[in-house]
Amino acid sequence: MTLTQAIYLILNPLFILAVSPFFLGLTMKVKALAQGRKGLPLWQPYYHLAKLLRKEIVYSTHSSFIMRLAPYLNIGFLLAAATMVPVLFLPPAETVGGNIILFLYLIVSARFFMALAGLDAGSVFGGMGSSREMSLSAIIEPVTIITCAALTFVLKTTDIPTMFATVLGGSLLEYPALILVAMSLFITLIVETSRVPVDNPETHLELAMIHEAMVLEQSGPKLALMELSYGVKQTILMALLINTVFPWGLADHISAIGLVIGALSFILKAAALSVVIAIFESGMAKIRLFRLPNFFAIALFFAFITILFELLL
Amino acid sequence: MITTLFLVGLAFFLIASILALTSLPQPSLWWRRLSLVLIFSGLVAISSAAIMVLAGDLQHHATLYTIADGLSISLLIDRLAAFFIIVICIVAACATIYSFDYIEHYGDPRRRHWLISMMALFILSMIMVVASANFFCLLFFWEIMSLSSFFLVILEREQPESRKAGVYYLVMTQFSTLFILLGGLTLYHFSGTFDITATALTAGALTLTSLSFFVGFGTKAGLMPFHKWLPYAHAASPSNVSALMSGVMLKVAIYGLVRVMLDVLSPPLWWSGLLLGFGTISAVLGVIYALKEHDLKKLLSFHSIENIGIIVIGLGLYGIFNHYGLDTLATLSLAGALFHTLNHAIFKSLLFMTAGSVVNATGTRNIEEMGGLIKRMPTTAIIFLIGAIAISALPPLNGFASEILLFQAYLGALELPNSFMAVLLFISLATFALMSALAAACFVKAFGIVFLALPRSPAAAIAKEVSFGMRLAPAILAGFCVILGIGSYQLLRAIGLELPVPNLLPVSLIVAIVVGIAILLVRRLGAPVRYTDTWNCGLGKQTGRMEYSATGFSEPIITIFSPIFRTRKVSQSEFADLDKTIIRSGHAEIKTLQFFEERIYLPLARLALRIGGLVSRWHNTDMDNFVLYAFVAIVVLILAAGWLL
Repeated sequence: MTLTQAIYLILNPLFILAVSPFFLGLTMKVKALAQGRKGLPLWQPYYHLAKLLRKEIVYSTHSSFIMRLAPYLNIGFLLAAATMVPVLFLPPAETVGGNIILFLYLIVSARFFMALAGLDAGSVFGGMGSSREMSLSAIIEPVTIITCAALTFVLKTTDIPTMFATVLGGSLLEYPALILVAMSLFITLIVETSRVPVDNPETHLELAMIHEAMVLEQSGPKLALMELSYGVKQTILMALLINTVFPWGLADHISAIGLVIGALSFILKAAALSVVIAIFESGMAKIRLFRLPNFFAIALFFAFITILFELLL
Repeated sequence: MITTLFLVGLAFFLIASILALTSLPQPSLWWRRLSLVLIFSGLVAISSAAIMVLAGDLQHHATLYTIADGLSISLLIDRLAAFFIIVICIVAACATIYSFDYIEHYGDPRRRHWLISMMALFILSMIMVVASANFFCLLFFWEIMSLSSFFLVILEREQPESRKAGVYYLVMTQFSTLFILLGGLTLYHFSGTFDITATALTAGALTLTSLSFFVGFGTKAGLMPFHKWLPYAHAASPSNVSALMSGVMLKVAIYGLVRVMLDVLSPPLWWSGLLLGFGTISAVLGVIYALKEHDLKKLLSFHSIENIGIIVIGLGLYGIFNHYGLDTLATLSLAGALFHTLNHAIFKSLLFMTAGSVVNATGTRNIEEMGGLIKRMPTTAIIFLIGAIAISALPPLNGFASEILLFQAYLGALELPNSFMAVLLFISLATFALMSALAAACFVKAFGIVFLALPRSPAAAIAKEVSFGMRLAPAILAGFCVILGIGSYQLLRAIGLELPVPNLLPVSLIVAIVVGIAILLVRRLGAPVRYTDTWNCGLGKQTGRMEYSATGFSEPIITIFSPIFRTRKVSQSEFADLDKTIIRSGHAEIKTLQFFEERIYLPLARLALRIGGLVSRWHNTDMDNFVLYAFVAIVVLILAAGWLL
């Protein structure tokens, strides 16, 4: 392993880990403003995590090691996925690889353990959350895979860093189909990060929750890990969307100045996307659970259109 | 040397079978143990023969016995056969270890002997089917395989469920034999040989032969719509046998398809399309049916249908890419199909064995009556979890390692010159993705309801961990799941396949390192830990009845896919007052249509019965009518003879 690879493997996930609560806070702030409220401070997610890390851990007497292990595995799988999405600079080839299917399935692995942990304490809310999460993730999966297939079609590679490099080396005009892919990727992002209209991350009604219901029994540092994983998941999916459509700013090799520009430009781009997500959320009402497949069908439609587009051209 | 080893192995099986049978009148533990040890040694001998073939890239040919010219019992062990023999040996060896303790749970000691005897024959016949050099030999052992497994399915013949399973199994297995026989005979008719060698057939003959082989092997593999016997037979048979049936007997049928496709015929493009189509349908419907199943063993057997679907998809992709001359993609698909064959054999037999342990410990197959077993049977739970992760195709275990090969093959669809085929592949890919996500949902349900939270019945509350042997066998298989998953890239490189697959080793390392650091950091925080009851909104003590049930868990998916299930919700409630506000008692159920059984199988069976009734009415008649029949028959014969000669 060369030094550059080592730096990439340490810096990339750590940077994502460090900035992800910021985007959560930004989205909350914009939503609050849209609702005419003043909202929480931008740094609230960091204060919240710091508070959780100082608190005690409460376990249910009915739960098993699954509950104790799930937060660690979640952050583990998601940070492993985070090594596949370069946000600061493009790693030299063959660092860890970045197969897009593997990337998606690492996220599924994290979800698998989160859903198991939801069932572990024997609480109805946890079970309900797990059941809904697994059902929704099952019907969004065809969309995600077809979107990724469309992406591999357009850019002729399954490797995420290579995809970024391809777009970086060309221009968006060469790949008009990417706009369509971006639509589907955006819907995937909304679903995967449990946002309105699929789920409401700020609800206080257990019956209406999906993602929050599963982590209801987690507490203290374990809950902090779960929330961090959620943030990391949102950031890597945003990074996938941003860097396939608009990778400019991403350094193509390692240098001090490149790192600074890469970091700043990524924060700017991701902040812009967070604002878009917040506005999208504010303009939508939550869709009834069983109406969601229709919403997913739109994304599937876009993905298939992209593929047909590529086949015909 | 190879023949000797092979024959010694076969002899061991025969001796084991005969020993178990002859000692049946005076059952004794030691005879049973001896027979099982013999089976195990036989497996060791045969697997070493297979490894020699595989390592030396040999094509071993031997004729054991010639009945008549062209009809002989002869062996052909090449790399393909050796691969399948090794798959059989791994699973059978673990099933044998598992059987040492497992069979002792059967009340009647004679039944234990009978089980061992049939099991030895079953393993022997499966190995011989794969090693057969001609269709005569293949069919001979195919029938022994079907019959010996039939006796295993009806082992508990006093149970009506076992008898029903037996009938379904026997009928469907004969149906498959019929079509393989048809295929073999047409092949002989057009090519003049029973041998498993490449033949060039005319278009018409090729259609007939390849269709009959497809139906014959497809039925035995459990492809939809020929799958109906599979859940019944797997659920009714003892768990060590379910492990063998699902783990390897289905693979023997897959071997038939692969052999026909690679060596015997050069099937046309539509045949590959057929495989892809049927594979996709089986994969997605298998998992959708599994989701609504609450019988643990039936749930697993529907997953067998799903995984057979995945393997057949791989074969279909191979055919399609091969037809268009895309060699890399073709190799990728075939490697995916074969690798998944091995992986499915391993994790499915693991799951059936642990399911057998759970069923033994709780005395029920209904997952709604389990729960909380992770505290009572921790080792079994961990092993089952590994199997569940593997079958849900999650990285870094082996299920993912083989499915990613197929995903990569699918993504090559753009290289196809035919746009229609490419679109077909993408529709199949979308379904494949749906299937793989639903499988994860199903195993969250299976593991969550069976092992987690509180026990849902008194039987589950007093369940005890099973004996060492019953944990050892699946644990070995779990080890294979991990090695074949994390080391998949290195293994594929080692056998000379340079395929575009991701290396799972660094990713697993990163996950392990992050988990390690996170655990250390949380330890360093030194947060105090408190244990308390789950918050249940102040309802008093938490009980098993307050948990989310398996029915509840799969309800959203069943509602979303209600057009497939044809779900009907029936609810009746009695009210205590006229305004219908206070419910006194009520009853509700969700009914799902057994589409294949109610719309295809039973109507066909009724048709057969009606024809049978008509014919029997003609039979029960007086002498005059019989004379008339004889007369008509003679006239027809004369006319036919005159026309033919």
